[in-house]
Amino acid sequence: MNILKRYSSILIPSTLLALLLWGGLKVCRVDLTVIIKGIPRGIELFSHMFPPDWGKIPGLIEPALETLQIAFVGTVLGGFLSFFIGLVAAKNIHSIRTLRDTVRVLLSAERALPDLIVMLFFVAIVGLGAFPGVMALVASSVGMLGKLFADAIEEVDPRPLESLEALGATKAQIIHFAVLPQILPSLVANTLYRFEVNIRMSILLGVVGAGGIGFYLVTSIRLMRYQEAMAAILIILVLVTLCEKSAEIIRKRIIGQEILR
Amino acid sequence: MKHLNVTSPYRRWYRHSALPVGIFLILLLWSLIDLKISPRLFLEGIPHFFNLVGEMFPPNWEVFWKGKILWSILETLSMAFVGTFLGAIVAFFFGIFGASDLSPSPLLREVTKRLLAAERAIPPLIYILLLVVVIGLGPFAGMIVIALGTIGMLGKLFAEAIETIDPKPLESLESAGANKLQIIRYAVLPQVIPSLIANTLYRFDINLRVALFLGVVGGGGVGVDLQMAMSLFRYADALAITVVTLIVIWVAERISDYLRRKVIGQEILQ
Repeated sequence: MNILKRYSSILIPSTLLALLLWGGLKVCRVDLTVIIKGIPRGIELFSHMFPPDWGKIPGLIEPALETLQIAFVGTVLGGFLSFFIGLVAAKNIHSIRTLRDTVRVLLSAERALPDLIVMLFFVAIVGLGAFPGVMALVASSVGMLGKLFADAIEEVDPRPLESLEALGATKAQIIHFAVLPQILPSLVANTLYRFEVNIRMSILLGVVGAGGIGFYLVTSIRLMRYQEAMAAILIILVLVTLCEKSAEIIRKRIIGQEILR
Repeated sequence: MKHLNVTSPYRRWYRHSALPVGIFLILLLWSLIDLKISPRLFLEGIPHFFNLVGEMFPPNWEVFWKGKILWSILETLSMAFVGTFLGAIVAFFFGIFGASDLSPSPLLREVTKRLLAAERAIPPLIYILLLVVVIGLGPFAGMIVIALGTIGMLGKLFAEAIETIDPKPLESLESAGANKLQIIRYAVLPQVIPSLIANTLYRFDINLRVALFLGVVGGGGVGVDLQMAMSLFRYADALAITVVTLIVIWVAERISDYLRRKVIGQEILQ
C-alpha cells in the first residue's frame, strides 16, 4: 500500500510520457528491420568511402577556407555590432528606456527564430552566396552576444563609472576608460565561444546556399562520389578541431593574463 | 574636458597587442575582399527586402489544406521528442560509465569519455548525409542523428553531474553491503535526477531547431517544405509555414520551460 502511494504521483506523468513516446515512434516510422537491413548497406558504403580520394584534398582547401572566412567575418561583425547593441541595452549606461526595452525584445525575438529560417530569408533577399551566410551568422551572433554583453555591462563595478562622471567625462570617455577595461575579457571569451558555434553553423549553411565545404560534401554524396565525400569529411573534422583548439588557446591566454591592468 | 588626466590603461596593452591585432585586421580585410562583401551588397538588399515582404503578405493559409504540412510539423516535433528521449536514456548509461566514482573500470571510463568527445566533434551534417544513404530519407534517420547529438552532450553533462554528488550516502550504502544497482537507485539517482531532467529539457529545445534543419538534408519534417516553398518563390506559402512552425516550437519550449522549473523546484524521490 505504501509503495502504491509513493509511486502514484509519478504514475500519471509516466503514462502520459509513454503515450507520447509511442505516438512519436509511430510518426518517426521507427522500424528495427530498417536498421538490420541497413547494416550491410552501411558496410558497403564505408568500403566505397575508403581510401579517401587524397588527390581531391588540394581542391578542397578553397571551399574549406570559404567556410572559415564566412564564420570569421560573421563572428567579428556580429561581435562588433553586439558591443554597441549591448551598450544600448544596458541599464547603467543611461540610455533611453523605451529604446532599451525595444532592443531587449528584438534580441530575444532573434534568439527564438531558428537559424534555418533566418538563413532562408537572407537567401531570398540577397541571393545565394557567401553574403547571406555572413548575414545569417551576424544576426544569430547578435541575438546571443548582444544579450550577454548587455548583461556583462550591467554587472560592472559602478565606482570607476561614477568617479569619471563626477569629473565631467563624456559618455564615450566613460565607456572607453571605465566600462571597456572591465568587460573586455568576457567580451573576447564569449565572442570566441560564438566563433566555435559559428564554424559549425557555417558548414551547415553551405547546404542551404552559402557554398563552402558543406555544399561540397552534400554534392559529392548526392553524386555518389563517396571517396571524394570522405576527403571532405576529413577536411571538415580538421577544420572544426583546428578552430576549437585555436579558440581555446586564445581564450586561455586572454583569461590568464589580466589585460588592461 | 578634452584631455583626461589619467594614465591610459590601454598603453601597456597597445604595446603587447600590436602584432596580434595587426594580424587580426589583415585576416579580416582579406576575408572581406575574398568573400566579396561590401556595403553595396547590403544596400542593394534593402529594396529586395521590401519586395519580399510585399510578396509574403497575406500569408497563404490554404497551404495547410492542400498538402501534408501539418503532418510534417508533427514529424519535426516527434523527431525532436523521440530523439531527445532515447538519447537521454543512452546518455544516462554513458554518464554512469564515464563518472569517476561509479565507473566499473578506469579503462571503460576513458573509452566512454573518448567516444563522447569524438561524437561531439563530428557535425550532425555528416551523420545525416551518411544515414540517409544507409537507411533512406525520412524522420527515422533524422531521429537517430538527434539522438546521437543528445548522447554526445548529455553523456558528458550526466557524467559530470554524477561526479559532483555528495559521496556520503554512496559510502554508507557501500559499507552496508549494497550492490551497485542499489547504490545507483538510492544514493545517486535522488541527487542527480533534477539536473538530469533539466539538462534533457534544455537539449530538447536545441533539438527542435536541429530537427528543423535536418529536414533540408533528408531527415524528414517541415524543414524541407519550408525550403521548397522559398526556392520556388512561393513566399506567401513560406510565411504561413514559418508562422505555424514558430508557434508550435514556441509552445513546445514553453512546456519544457514549465517542466524544468517544476523539476528544479521540487526534490523528487526523496
